[in-house]
Amino acid sequence: MPDTGAEARAKLVRRVILDTSIAAVVVIGMGVARGVYSNELMLFNFVMFLALAQGLNIIYGFTGYLPFGYVGFYGAGAYGFSLVVMHLHASALVGMAAAAVAALVLAVILLPLLRLSGAYFAIASMAAAQAVYEVVANPDLENITKGPYGVSLSDVFAPAFSYYIALAILAFTLLLVVWLRNSRFGMSLQAIRDDSVSAAMAGVSVVRGRTIAWLLSALVAGLVGGVFAWHISVFYPDTAFDLNISIFATVFLLFGGATTLCGPLLGVFILYGIYNVIGIAVPQYFEFTYGALIVLLVLFLPNGLVSLLTNRGIRVP
Amino acid sequence: MKSKALALGLLCAVAAAGSANAQPAAPAAITIGTLYASSGPYASISMPVFDAFKLWVDQTNAAGGVEVKAFGKKIPIKLVAYDDQSSTATAATLYNQLITQDHVDLLVADSGSVLTSVGVPIAKEHKQFLFDVSGTGAAFFTKDNPYIALMSDPVSTIWPHYISDFLADQGVKEGVKTVAILYSTNDFTGTQAAALKGFFERDGKVKIVYYQGVPTTTSNYTVLINNIAALNPDAVLELGYVGNDIAFLRNLQDSGEKFRFVFSIYAGTEKEEIEKNVGISAMNGIYSYVPASDYEYKPDVGMDQKAFHAAWDKKYPPGSGVAFGANAIYGYMTGLVVQQTLATTKSLDQMAIHDAVFGLSGKLKTLDGTFELRDDGAQIGEVTPLGQLQPEGKDKLKLVAVYPPDLANGKAIIGK
Repeated sequence: MPDTGAEARAKLVRRVILDTSIAAVVVIGMGVARGVYSNELMLFNFVMFLALAQGLNIIYGFTGYLPFGYVGFYGAGAYGFSLVVMHLHASALVGMAAAAVAALVLAVILLPLLRLSGAYFAIASMAAAQAVYEVVANPDLENITKGPYGVSLSDVFAPAFSYYIALAILAFTLLLVVWLRNSRFGMSLQAIRDDSVSAAMAGVSVVRGRTIAWLLSALVAGLVGGVFAWHISVFYPDTAFDLNISIFATVFLLFGGATTLCGPLLGVFILYGIYNVIGIAVPQYFEFTYGALIVLLVLFLPNGLVSLLTNRGIRVP
Repeated sequence: MKSKALALGLLCAVAAAGSANAQPAAPAAITIGTLYASSGPYASISMPVFDAFKLWVDQTNAAGGVEVKAFGKKIPIKLVAYDDQSSTATAATLYNQLITQDHVDLLVADSGSVLTSVGVPIAKEHKQFLFDVSGTGAAFFTKDNPYIALMSDPVSTIWPHYISDFLADQGVKEGVKTVAILYSTNDFTGTQAAALKGFFERDGKVKIVYYQGVPTTTSNYTVLINNIAALNPDAVLELGYVGNDIAFLRNLQDSGEKFRFVFSIYAGTEKEEIEKNVGISAMNGIYSYVPASDYEYKPDVGMDQKAFHAAWDKKYPPGSGVAFGANAIYGYMTGLVVQQTLATTKSLDQMAIHDAVFGLSGKLKTLDGTFELRDDGAQIGEVTPLGQLQPEGKDKLKLVAVYPPDLANGKAIIGK
């Protein structure tokens, strides 16, 4: 028997409460961790990748587009922040707004990429990110972007405040995913992902849906890039456009399981945790251990850790 | 009764004052934290520094430890080192790890500007003095940051002035009138290129006909060399990292193009490494900096160049991995600064460390020349002469210092 309207609503409310509670636990936990563990930068990196993996989840998990060049938005955010702070001597919070705008502008410019799909889209997005990097790192633009010589933002360096702003971005991103998982719009995105022609015939606006998901995903990466620039304060274009950032976010997402809230969280906590433990304790085994772990995942759990439960019909938040 | 209580109180106060003045107990070990890159683009400049620093640590511990004035005794060194794999993100986390988790007494940066850059704000934030081995980026040194000093090579703006002085002086006399500058766009070489451009424009004797930056990842210079040859410059200055210089020198030889004066940074500073990769025929006649690994400075402290080279070969026999060169000197030299700092510092407080390091400025003479700091921590001593790789016997090249005249031990041969 299908649920009645009231039962369905109650079920939805319970799901939203559960999802929001998980998001709150993660955000509060990362806030408390700062008071307990003093390697703040390591915690900051966790927060950053938690948000990035969820940002990627928005576009890949809900629409099926996997942008290898996701780091382009992150780098655009980092430089949006830096340019406003360096040239206009704006406050860091204004810089954060500029980071968001820079990523959104780039996302709008790259909208035509959504006409591609699969590997073509993935590679094209990577090329786009590389193109943005080449522009930013151009020595002839040294007076504007500092070219390849790196940015120094010591005037706004505020590690504690920027850490809490990163937490706020993480909270925003997690709530965004909760909303997508439980809203009509999120359902329509999943319908587009599974069969865009059928979804369009059922009255779903495919272009509008994909565009909004693309912009939201870019916004998250831009904000994370902005807060990275603020927190670290000295960086080079190679750092802000480092392809490893895309790779890490993608691996964390796939390891945990896309379209869920918990999958990317698990992916980051487990894989980035192992990354740090191995990197500090036994760096000589780092590449071997990490590579072996990913190979095992691809072979035995292609849909991520959460598929251990979802394959048994258990709903994972 | 009252007087008894007063006497007791006085006794307690005297005891308390006595304990407050007592020297803190000496630690079981002086913990030094550092990073190295065993892989990635900076491994070639990082590993020689790290291996040489380890050599200094081993030698010091074998002698019973390092003399620490604050405790009036020798204390063994405990080295905590992490591999950042040439990644700035990993390096940033690991600098934090060394300061906040390992609570190191002294913090030594990884080699080069890029991997040092992320450590500068972190060290400043935690008020931890950073022994900057070879991060020469001008932006690191500011008056408001007392927690950094550059150890073993001068800031990038100082490095190249002997090149322009030589060309404006002896080069012009021999008809060198035009120059091409090809540089890799990173802090180290980009700053040197800009400084050179400024020197040439200021002097007005040699005209720049080509000035081009290329990514540090550039591995093929064939087209660039053809472009330069089309302008027919008398002198070509190629400023890059080890990988760039290897590619440039190989491509230059393959192209068959000849220029009267060709300069490359690492042909001299990492002579063994470059020789291994390009062969001596591609290096013959090339100008370069003369690092301390090829020049005999008279040290007041530590081994001289010959003794250090012998110690290096004993610990790391030739062919076993990392080659001897300027970066090896930098690592050992950093150890010597640490040694002298501990021998003079009043305590392990980081500002006391700062005072001790700056107290060595102008006084410390090592196998790397005279250690001299600007107020902001930038190194202005240890300036490298200009040299030329000239044949020594049939199948050997020798790096001869040719400028300035007071440091020269040979004569420059400018091509016809």
